[in-house]
Amino acid sequence: MSEDVGETASSAKVIAVCGKGGVGKTTISALISRLLYEDGRGKVLVVDADPAVGLGMALNRFPERTVNDVRKEIIGSVRERSTDSVDLAASVDYKMMEIVMDSGNLGFLSVGRPEEEGCYCQLNTLLREAIESLSAHFEVTLIDAEAGVEQINRRVMRSVTHLLLVSDTALKAVRVAESIRKVAADAVNYSKMGLLVNRARDEEEALHLSSRSDLPLLGWIPEDETVREFDSEARSFLELPSCPALEAVRSSVLQSGFLSG
Amino acid sequence: MGLFDQPLAEIRDYIDGKYGEGSAQEFPFTPVIPRAEGAQVILSEDTGLELGNPGMPSRTLLLWDAGESVRDGRITLVGPDFPAASASSLPFAQILMVGGDFSDEYDCYRDLRDATYNVRLRGFMTRVFPGRQSIWCRVSKEALAGGFSAQVLGSSLIQALKKLDFVRSVEVLFVTSSREEVEELSGPADKVLDIVEALIKMYEEMNFDCEECEYVDVCDEVVELRQIRDKLKAEREGDE
Repeated sequence: MSEDVGETASSAKVIAVCGKGGVGKTTISALISRLLYEDGRGKVLVVDADPAVGLGMALNRFPERTVNDVRKEIIGSVRERSTDSVDLAASVDYKMMEIVMDSGNLGFLSVGRPEEEGCYCQLNTLLREAIESLSAHFEVTLIDAEAGVEQINRRVMRSVTHLLLVSDTALKAVRVAESIRKVAADAVNYSKMGLLVNRARDEEEALHLSSRSDLPLLGWIPEDETVREFDSEARSFLELPSCPALEAVRSSVLQSGFLSG
Repeated sequence: MGLFDQPLAEIRDYIDGKYGEGSAQEFPFTPVIPRAEGAQVILSEDTGLELGNPGMPSRTLLLWDAGESVRDGRITLVGPDFPAASASSLPFAQILMVGGDFSDEYDCYRDLRDATYNVRLRGFMTRVFPGRQSIWCRVSKEALAGGFSAQVLGSSLIQALKKLDFVRSVEVLFVTSSREEVEELSGPADKVLDIVEALIKMYEEMNFDCEECEYVDVCDEVVELRQIRDKLKAEREGDE
């Protein structure tokens, strides 16, 4: 079950994985990436928007440069040379394409550490637009978001079409997911939204938790020994074999009305 | 006299030299049916040929001339044509020379540039980094198999530029042969970059204090820039 709040203009799907810190957003993002990798759905852009850059580690993608590096490089080049807004936008597009690490149908982009001080509103807008414009050419864009509501507040995820709220079994995590939904209702033009309960014992536990919230429940993800092993060995989740957690994400997110509807 | 007389002359010498050596081939302009799409993203696995990858030398130049130096409709290629390339990645230069009537140099520059940026071809991805004059293109495997060539790209660019009412003629030079032959264009390319940046600075900043300006040497060398500066300064003083 997911909440459908209308169609967006583009057919490209932009999924943002959001939730309280520590609930397993990055693991869920890595599992979704694994399912979308070479699955015939077309080009997929995976964006690691969490400054902790955990998704890159989970997928064994270690880009030399991030969006924030591009930002610094552009600021440096503008200080050195005269340019106008059209050339500035072209430069941002060039550098964004340069930092996409691609393998098969999957492109990977890391946003990097928080921005340095200083007001570069025009450039920040261009960077956001460049990510949006880039993602428009991928059938699916998956964003592993920073914990909490900050990125939603900054409207960096304005183009999100699918809001995937992740919680663990703590009620506090569900409350944070509700807060994110409230903020997103004003800041993001999403069309689908739902809650995924991570590390649940069983369906009953997930249902009990969701009964205490008005967030539509997409499904629940069990603790999984294979996932734990891949995590502890720092193996790429793109090589993860079929396992209960992976199959739970497949049925809850990919095969449910959330993404395929 | 025009803004780009010197670099144009150097590029003309380059082209004539390559024809003289027998290393250049000429294609005529052939009308292209536009199959426009947005600025595409072609991933590595779908790429048949990469031109000017960021790890390779590349140059993109746009020059204009009010005189008769531009040989309308001529597309010159130095190096292998795209479908015949034996490597999957080649260095790349794309030089566009435009003849016409340029009453306001900066407006014309922006119109010409925007026309080239807006050329969208199916199976062809292009990105430019103007501050370095870099150009990076990917031709998809499908487009390459379908015969996407220098003639198709050159004709598309000519067609787009000639839609502008002040453009009379367009000539295109592509270089795909070697790092060295792309870098041979560095001399005129650096001059073009300096001139364009000085032009942008004048119009964007409207600051006419030559003593403070880092482009004063460029204006000393290119008389037309100083004339544009004097015209702009007079217009501004007239407004005040």
